Amino acid sequence: MRTEKFSATRLICAALFLFLLAGATARAADGALALEADLVSGSNDPQAGGTPVSPQIAKKLGRLPLKWQHYFVVNSQQFSVANGESKDVSLSDACQISVKNLGGEQVQLTLMSSGQNVGKIKQSLKKGQTLVAGGNAGNNIVVLRQAD
Amino acid sequence: MNTEQQLKLQAFLDGELPEGEAREILAWTQRDSAAAALLAELRNTRAAMAKAEPHLSLPESREFFWSKIEREIHRLEPGEKNAPEISFFAALRRLLLPAGALAALAVAGLILHFHGSKPVADNLADADDTTVETTLASTDATTYRDASEGTTLVWFSPAVDDSPVPSKKPTAIN
Repeated sequence: MRTEKFSATRLICAALFLFLLAGATARAADGALALEADLVSGSNDPQAGGTPVSPQIAKKLGRLPLKWQHYFVVNSQQFSVANGESKDVSLSDACQISVKNLGGEQVQLTLMSSGQNVGKIKQSLKKGQTLVAGGNAGNNIVVLRQAD
Repeated sequence: MNTEQQLKLQAFLDGELPEGEAREILAWTQRDSAAAALLAELRNTRAAMAKAEPHLSLPESREFFWSKIEREIHRLEPGEKNAPEISFFAALRRLLLPAGALAALAVAGLILHFHGSKPVADNLADADDTTVETTLASTDATTYRDASEGTTLVWFSPAVDDSPVPSKKPTAIN
């Protein structure tokens, strides 16, 4: 007896439909970026206090030409930015950032110190990539990356 | 009369005894009235059963009768022989539909593979498009890129550099 209910054609068509649906869902979710911005304090004293950054971030920062050996999280913010939209995030009284999602996993980070615009950085920020920005703000730096 | 003698009478009636023994039984039945009575009763019983047995006869030959049954069995059995003939185009459609779906899946998979998700190493090295814009006239920006870790450092500093950046010797300053 033939069971048309589970014919190969129907199964393949169902798989194709689900595949396209998953692709459409992934494409829809592609617009928004889930980001994590950390205000990190650098120090050469391992006991400086605060929560040490994750080993992953510590490894990345350790390879940069910065004068500090140890890094601690002062503030951490997770947020989502829709495609074409901007998000203002205050990491401390003196440090604010504005992140604009330029699409295609590109962002524009505007760094502000005490309300004064310091500069803009535009670059791709894909999974695994990290953008570190700093300046004349004591021993604080901003670490921006896609949230895990 | 014992059981063996009764069985002998039965065998005599059925014609199963040799000729000599049959003659002895016949003589015995003529001498013995009980044996004669039993023989008569067995004859009557056999005659009655022969008449009562129904005699069925087929209106057709035996081979024709069984061939009809065989045809009926084949007719009722669902199988490939009884399946309706499939046209060439229907068969082609049955073949092309899943093949087309598989081809579409393969194409979609290839597109996703080559355009949807670049390998991590490519992603990490894909940060060459960093653009830095300083908004303060007296500020410079230095960019350092660690391609292996996918990290970009941008340091804003006054034009006269007294920043804490170059304590380590940078391997690549862009």
